[in-house]
Amino acid sequence: MMRLLTAATAALLLAAAAPADSPVNLPEPEGFHTGVQQGYTPPTLTGAMVLDIDGLDALMAQAEPVLIDVALADRRPAGMAADKPWLPAHRTIPNAVWMPNAGAAPLDPAHEALFLERVAELTGGDKAKPIVTFCHPDCWGSWNAGKRLVQQGYSRVHWFPTGIEGWQDRHETAVVKEDAAWSQRSAGLAQR
Amino acid sequence: MKPFTATLALSLALSLPAAALLVGPVHAAGASDTDAERLARWQEIRTSIFGDKVVATTDTLVKIDAPVRALDASLVPITLTMPEKDKIAAVHFVIDDNPSPYAAHITFGPAADPGEIKLRVRVNNYTNVHAIAETKDGKLFEAAKFVKASGGCSAPMGMTDEEAMQGMGDMKMKFADGGAGKATEATLMIRHPNFSGMQMNQVTRDYTPARYIQKVVVTQGARNILTLDGDISIASNPVLNFAFLPEGGEPIKVTASDNQNGRWEHSFPLPSPSN
Repeated sequence: MMRLLTAATAALLLAAAAPADSPVNLPEPEGFHTGVQQGYTPPTLTGAMVLDIDGLDALMAQAEPVLIDVALADRRPAGMAADKPWLPAHRTIPNAVWMPNAGAAPLDPAHEALFLERVAELTGGDKAKPIVTFCHPDCWGSWNAGKRLVQQGYSRVHWFPTGIEGWQDRHETAVVKEDAAWSQRSAGLAQR
Repeated sequence: MKPFTATLALSLALSLPAAALLVGPVHAAGASDTDAERLARWQEIRTSIFGDKVVATTDTLVKIDAPVRALDASLVPITLTMPEKDKIAAVHFVIDDNPSPYAAHITFGPAADPGEIKLRVRVNNYTNVHAIAETKDGKLFEAAKFVKASGGCSAPMGMTDEEAMQGMGDMKMKFADGGAGKATEATLMIRHPNFSGMQMNQVTRDYTPARYIQKVVVTQGARNILTLDGDISIASNPVLNFAFLPEGGEPIKVTASDNQNGRWEHSFPLPSPSN
């Protein structure tokens, strides 16, 4: 127990310095990770496959996985001059469905229901359809989102921890708008 | 503490040769639209800054020198070269995919030598950057370059906000004399965190409000050298390299102001004439 605590403390202390493949062997939390989303993540997600970019390329070559991006949206910084152009554009894996902050935990029941409803639509109700969750490196959001889907009985959940940065190192990104259903529900919620 | 994004950029940079050897460009679905998409993005920004004015492409009036792959996305060095400097009235610098793309606008006064400008910027993700030269007859010319860097706008500074703000407004200037009758090169360093508003305070986990240098005016006596309109995309502790044509012995005066009513003024004596 003590060793666990020490590891967790070390992970917290090092959180800001973590590359995607964390040198800290962080254990999986029992449920969701409810702390800050940025920080070291575990190397595993029970019930899901963890993919590196080679794994994702291989998966995309043989299947059409549902790509779920839960990265937070950029919000206009407080204190920025009103006449400055603010034109955020979210670059991600082409054809990804972007539901910002859907990996939050806890997630309010309305958003959780909407997230699951959207995934059910995107998979056509097929619980064996491959799904990939991702955001940025060292982001718990995609881990939580993957876990949420494992809990719902999806059998081919994949977690891609290096996320958008891991993808853009090898491939082109595309500007993707927030999922329409998700943005309707989320309008007005502060992000990032 | 190192910003994790910078660490990532570094590890990606180190892994590049291997990755480049292993795979050629793989075209994902939708990737063929990429150029069109980047162009559309640029057109949107261009219209928001320049309206309907025509912007011609140029290979000669302005050139951008930037690392193709930056080691630190929060500190990407940019050099803008304007060889036909007598024609140049101003230069604009845009980082297309930054949420706040209009990084800098520099207008040159009568005491300027607008041949070269260097500055350091934040880059949010792999993006085109554009430099737009404005000639004295009011025409606009653009040049572009693709830069690979990621996470620069949100990278924490690795210290507390209070530490980052210590000595805010302090300035230094270094001169490199070009010789009698020639332009003098100057490096202006301003101590200022230039908080982007997208950086998370590592202790409170709140976003530090944007606090950035909005305007820098550099003069010698009554003659303006340059005026910089800045933005959150300028790196912390801004550094600006420029050149000017000294006249008489008056000192160089710098006035800097930020978006939270900070205002600082410093004078720098000219270097003694070289022998």
